[in-house]
Amino acid sequence: MSDVEPWVVATGLIFVYLLITVVLGVVANRRLSVDMEDFLLYGRKAGFVVLYLTVVASFHSAFAFLGSGGFFYTHGVGFWAAGTWTVLVGAITYVLGTRIWALGKAFGYITPADMLADFYESESVRIAVAVVSVVFTILYIQVQAQGLGYIINVASDGRISVALGTLILLVVAATYLVLGGLRAVYWTDVLQGIWMYVAVWVGALVLSYELFGGPFALLRQVAADRPDLLTLPGPNGFFTPGMWIGMTITLSFGIVFQPHLMIRYYTAIDGRTLKLLGATTPIYLMTLYIPTALVGLGGALAMPGLEVPDRIFPELLFAYASPWLTGMILAGATAAAMSTLDSILHANMTVLTRDVYQRYVAPDRTQKHYVAVGRMIVGALLVVGYLLSIRSYDFLVVLVTLSGAGALQLMPAILGVCFPGRRTLTGAGVVAGITAGLVALYVTLVVVPHPLGMHGAIWSLLVNAAIAVNVSAVTTPPSADTIERVHGEIERFVYGAE
Amino acid sequence: MEPHIRRTHFLPRTRDGRIAVMAFVALFALAMPPVTHRVLNRAEPWIAGLPFIFAILLAVYVALIGVLIWTYRRGV
Repeated sequence: MSDVEPWVVATGLIFVYLLITVVLGVVANRRLSVDMEDFLLYGRKAGFVVLYLTVVASFHSAFAFLGSGGFFYTHGVGFWAAGTWTVLVGAITYVLGTRIWALGKAFGYITPADMLADFYESESVRIAVAVVSVVFTILYIQVQAQGLGYIINVASDGRISVALGTLILLVVAATYLVLGGLRAVYWTDVLQGIWMYVAVWVGALVLSYELFGGPFALLRQVAADRPDLLTLPGPNGFFTPGMWIGMTITLSFGIVFQPHLMIRYYTAIDGRTLKLLGATTPIYLMTLYIPTALVGLGGALAMPGLEVPDRIFPELLFAYASPWLTGMILAGATAAAMSTLDSILHANMTVLTRDVYQRYVAPDRTQKHYVAVGRMIVGALLVVGYLLSIRSYDFLVVLVTLSGAGALQLMPAILGVCFPGRRTLTGAGVVAGITAGLVALYVTLVVVPHPLGMHGAIWSLLVNAAIAVNVSAVTTPPSADTIERVHGEIERFVYGAE
Repeated sequence: MEPHIRRTHFLPRTRDGRIAVMAFVALFALAMPPVTHRVLNRAEPWIAGLPFIFAILLAVYVALIGVLIWTYRRGV
C-alpha cells in the first residue's frame, strides 16, 4: 500500500464517489414516472431525512468547504458570523418555508415565479422573477464547476487539467439529473451531505492533532501568536458592523430565495416535516463552520503567506495527512460542490421548462413532452456551464459579484404573498422594486462598494422596498378574489379554519 | 368582492408564538453589532481555552437553535 502514490488514491476515491452517484441516478430512473411533478418536484413526497440532507448539501457549496477556511485564514474569527445566517436560514424555513409549501400544495406551484405571478396577477412579475432566478443562479454553475475542476486538478497533482476535470464532473452531474430528475438529485445529496460533513470534521480534527496536539491547543496557540485573528474586524478590517449585518441578511434570505432552495420547500411531504427541518437544519449548517475555523486559523500559523488562501485545506492535507485521508476529504469537497451544482442545474431546468417553455412556447403538450424538454435543457445548461467555466469574461466577474444578493430582490414580493397585512403590493410595484433594487445593487457593490460601511445588498433591499411600496400605492392591486384565495389559504394553514 | 381585512401575520397571536419571537430576537441581538464588536470582542482564552468571542457566540447559536426546537415542540 505504501507504494501507491497519493494522487492515485485521491483521484481514485473521487472517481469511486462519482460512480456511486451515477448508480444512484440509474436506480432513481427506475422509480421515475413520466410526470412533471415527479420529475421536477420528487412528487411532493420528500420525507424529513432526504429533505434535510438535500437542503444542507445544497446550501453548503464548495465555498463552505474550501472558501470558508480561506476566510478564517485571512480575516480571522469574523467569519464565525456564519452562525447568524445559518440559524436565520432555519428560522426562515420554519416561518416562511412552510407558508410557501402550503401555497404550493394548494395551488400546484412548481417554481417561485408560479407563486408570485399568480398572486400579483402579472406576467411581468413572472418574467422578472424567472430572469432573476436564472441569471443569478446560472453563474453559480460556473463557480461550482470551476471549483470542481480545481479540486480534481489538485487531487490528481495536476495530471487532470482544470478544464477536463470540470467537464467530467459536469457530465456526471447532468447524467444523473437527466436519468432520475429531482429524485436522483435528492438521493445523491443524501450521500453528499453525509460525506462532506464527515470529511470536513475528520480532516480538521486529524490536522489539528497532527500539528498542534488538538483543537483546543490549536486555538490557544492562535490566541498566543495571532491574537489579531481572534478579534473584530479582523487583521484587514473586513468584518465591520455593516459587513456583519449585510452578510447575515444576504447569505440567509438571499440564498433561501434562490430557486434551488425555494423549490425544495414545495417538495416536502407535509408542513410538519418542513417545520422540523427549519428547527434542526442550523445544527448541521452552523457546526460545519467549526472545523473550517480550525483549518483556517490553524493554517494561518502552520502555512502563513499562502498566495491563494482558499487552498489552505488541500495544501495542509497534502503536507500532513495520509493519501487515503486526503482522497476521502477531497471527495468530500467534490460532494460539496456537486450537491450545489446539481441542484442549480435542476432549478434552472425547472424554471426554463415551466416558466418559459410551457408558458410561452408550447402550453398544451403532454407531461412526457415537458420531461423530455427538461432533459434537453439540462444538456444545453451543461454546455453553457462548461463554456462559462473554461473562459473568463469581465462582465461575468461583475455578475458573480452581484449574484449572492440578486435573489434577495425577491424578498418584498415574497413577504407580500406569504404575510397577509393591511396593505398589499401590486405587480407593477414588485417589478419596479426588483428593477430599482438591481440597479442599486450594481451601484453599491460595483461602482461605490458598500457605501458608509454597509453591505451593498442592504442598500439595494432598502431601495427595492421603498420603490415597491410607493409604486404599489398608486397602481392597481391584485383582485379581491385572488387576495382572498391566497391569503385565506395562509390563514387556514397557520391558524386553522376561520 | 372586497377582500376580508385580516389581522396581520407580522405579529404572533398566541402566547407561545410571542415567547418564541421575543426569545429569538433577543438572543439574535446578542450575535449582532454593536454587541459583537463592543462587548464580545475579546481574544483571550475562555472555557477550555476557546477564544471568548468564539465560545460565547457558539453558546448564543446553540440557544437560538434551542428556541427553534422548543417552538417546534410547542406546535407553534
